[in-house]
Amino acid sequence: VSPLARKLAFTAHVSFSVGWFGAVAAFLGLSIVGLTSQHEETVRGVYLVMEPAAWFVLIPLAIGSLVSGLVQGLVTPWGLARHYWVLAKLLINVFATTLLLVYMRTFSAMANVAADDQAELGTVRNISPVFHAALALVLLLAATVLAVYKPRGLTPYGQRRSQTRLARPVRR
Amino acid sequence: MASEPREDQSPAEEAGATTGVPRWVKIFAIIAVVVIVIVIVVAIVGDGHGPSRHSSPLKGGGVGQHGT
Repeated sequence: VSPLARKLAFTAHVSFSVGWFGAVAAFLGLSIVGLTSQHEETVRGVYLVMEPAAWFVLIPLAIGSLVSGLVQGLVTPWGLARHYWVLAKLLINVFATTLLLVYMRTFSAMANVAADDQAELGTVRNISPVFHAALALVLLLAATVLAVYKPRGLTPYGQRRSQTRLARPVRR
Repeated sequence: MASEPREDQSPAEEAGATTGVPRWVKIFAIIAVVVIVIVIVVAIVGDGHGPSRHSSPLKGGGVGQHGT
């Protein structure tokens, strides 16, 4: 893989990942508005907009982050399972994306309640998105910290690969 | 993944510095298990992961419930 393609893949991964973090932060803000606003239209609007916003923003960014991360692992010397920090990031990404996909049902149900004129405002308000957005932010922050600090540690697979490289005669 | 291992980095140096499971990995694993258990328990207790579960609406007790 050419250096240009590597840089492009890396740029895509950083953009998707940081974008995902920012989008979740925006959802946390929306969730707080939904809980605290005194205006009925605003409260209903918050829960109505969450579902399409999640489909059009959160999910593409999550999938983009996951796929571009897999590409990064495959085209760089870091690999996918050689270093603990890369593996940990991958697990965080898969876990957070899975939770998001499962949570789409909740977004849909909250939108249905918000769209119901007969539903009282207390029924429309929901604290669940606050918890989920906060959990997602913690997970994504942990992934960012791992990516920046890259703590040392080779997995057993990484150690075996390293030993194999050591044993291989050097070609001149 | 801001930077990559140096091409001239010795594999022995790389492996020697990282033999065994680092402490941060153990701590990370414990936290991960706790989080996963909490998610599973919440999903089971709440009968799945949906709107009528742990995401129960704030009936009668919402902040600023009486909006205008």
